Amino acid sequence: MEDFEFLRNITIGQYLPGDSLVHRLDPRAKISITLFVIIAITFNISYMANVILLLACLGFVLLSKISLKYILSGVKPAIPFIVVLAILQLLFYGDAYIPYNAESQTILRWGWIHITNGSVQLVIISTLRFLELLFLTSLLTNTTTTSDLTNGMEAMLSPFSKIGVPGHELALVGTTALRFVPILAEQLEIIMKAQASRGADLGTKGKLQFIQTTRQVIVLIVPLFIDAFRRAEDLILAMQARCYIGGRKRTKLVKFRFSRADYVAYFTMLAFSAAMTIFRNAFPF
Amino acid sequence: MEGREPIIQVNDLHHNYLRGTPLEVTALKGVTMEIYPGEAVGIIGRTGAGKSTIVQHFNGLIRPRERGKVIVDGVDLADPAVDIRALRQKVGLVFQYPEQQLFERFVGDDVAFGPLKMGLPMDEVRERVREAMEMVGLSFEAFKDRYTFTLSGGEMRKAAIAGVLALRPKVLILDESTSGVDPRSRKELLGHISRLHEEYGLTVIFVSPNMEDVAELVDRVYVIDDGRTVMSGTTREVFSRPEELVRYGLGVPQITEIVHELAQRGKLPPTTVISVQEGKEAIWKILNSSAT
Repeated sequence: MEDFEFLRNITIGQYLPGDSLVHRLDPRAKISITLFVIIAITFNISYMANVILLLACLGFVLLSKISLKYILSGVKPAIPFIVVLAILQLLFYGDAYIPYNAESQTILRWGWIHITNGSVQLVIISTLRFLELLFLTSLLTNTTTTSDLTNGMEAMLSPFSKIGVPGHELALVGTTALRFVPILAEQLEIIMKAQASRGADLGTKGKLQFIQTTRQVIVLIVPLFIDAFRRAEDLILAMQARCYIGGRKRTKLVKFRFSRADYVAYFTMLAFSAAMTIFRNAFPF
Repeated sequence: MEGREPIIQVNDLHHNYLRGTPLEVTALKGVTMEIYPGEAVGIIGRTGAGKSTIVQHFNGLIRPRERGKVIVDGVDLADPAVDIRALRQKVGLVFQYPEQQLFERFVGDDVAFGPLKMGLPMDEVRERVREAMEMVGLSFEAFKDRYTFTLSGGEMRKAAIAGVLALRPKVLILDESTSGVDPRSRKELLGHISRLHEEYGLTVIFVSPNMEDVAELVDRVYVIDDGRTVMSGTTREVFSRPEELVRYGLGVPQITEIVHELAQRGKLPPTTVISVQEGKEAIWKILNSSAT
């Protein structure tokens, strides 16, 4: 019934204050670990490896002391897409996907529908991967403040500035985008409420709710875009008023320093992800 | 008011935002109020007191799901089978910065959005748009074909309010809808609203941080602090207790404060004035009596 509370469902990008081991880790370590595990997820297509990776991600969630229920609630808005994707993969992949460590076998062939053990595997692995990625990315933003994320990314990109990579600007673009997700969600909520108050079929239960919403998206998108542009302009003005110039010899109040926990976490996860990537074909199933 | 059924009845209402997440916050912890048909009622309270949360219950944007009851025109809003669309036609809610909801290219089309959604015939829609625009002081002929986004801030706001009035609500809620426009537009808007209240008998619920506006427009006031109803009464009664209001982070209209202080200094018999006109009279009285 609480049809308008988007922030209940958008968990990515929402910082949750806390004092867990994951919260205290150096942002550079967290970003690196996220990247390592994403690489491992990208390369592994076997059931066993993905279960191990999912368990590892669950382990991170437990360590962060953020409720699993909260992170899982972030899946809710994506469920329709996952389902549609899964159905398409299941029905149409056929022989195109060769299953891991097994012969391709047809399970069902009926007209143009062709289900093989490969397409079944693909659906399961895709869902597992989606969950792993969701856990990782939510967790990174749930436990790291935006400024830590920016500074961490910038520090990691600084070695590349010698070959002309604009590290500071890239970090700024990335974190501004992340920061705006909850802001725009909140604004969308206000606009939805305002339009519903003057007769739009939003937040009313009815048949074909999905189709209605799609048709009515215009009453939300136009005001939302106007607002987003206004906010972007305000941000530019505020930055210019403070004489902002991208990263020129700026000193930092807090210098990052790797503690022992950071080194341990960094190298453990580096070794883990490397092993998972190198031995990706060694899993029995 | 005796013997009449309240159009909106709120009893011990509680509400938590972001329920079931680590960011859950309590917004309401016991709000009680009654609003009768044809009344103009003010809801005041400091920022974050829960005013907007309360009024969003009145047209079903938020549904009571914890403790408490909201009954609008005899319908209990906790009932999941409530006809929300009918409710939203009955109770029109205008938000802060309502110009942010405009989306159509032409002003007339934007005002017509609500009536069109109701499925009314074209003549009726046109009639309602004309009426709603004239109600807020936008000439139908002059403005219906203007580009929405070329209007001034004050005009956009009037157009947005007309968009809600075109639904012909019984109750009009203005949630800080008069803040942030130039003084002239604000004055005009207040004039139009009070005319709607007096001439058409519209029930008006007015949420505003501006005590002068509240004093001018409404008959009765509810004071909300920390999610609870802490004071209620006629505008005059509430503004006669400035010390309490200050404790809740509020104040009284400037003229009320001046006369109150004059009374404390023994220059005036203790009275509560709520309009500049009354204040002027009271001050003239002492000036005249000291002259003779």
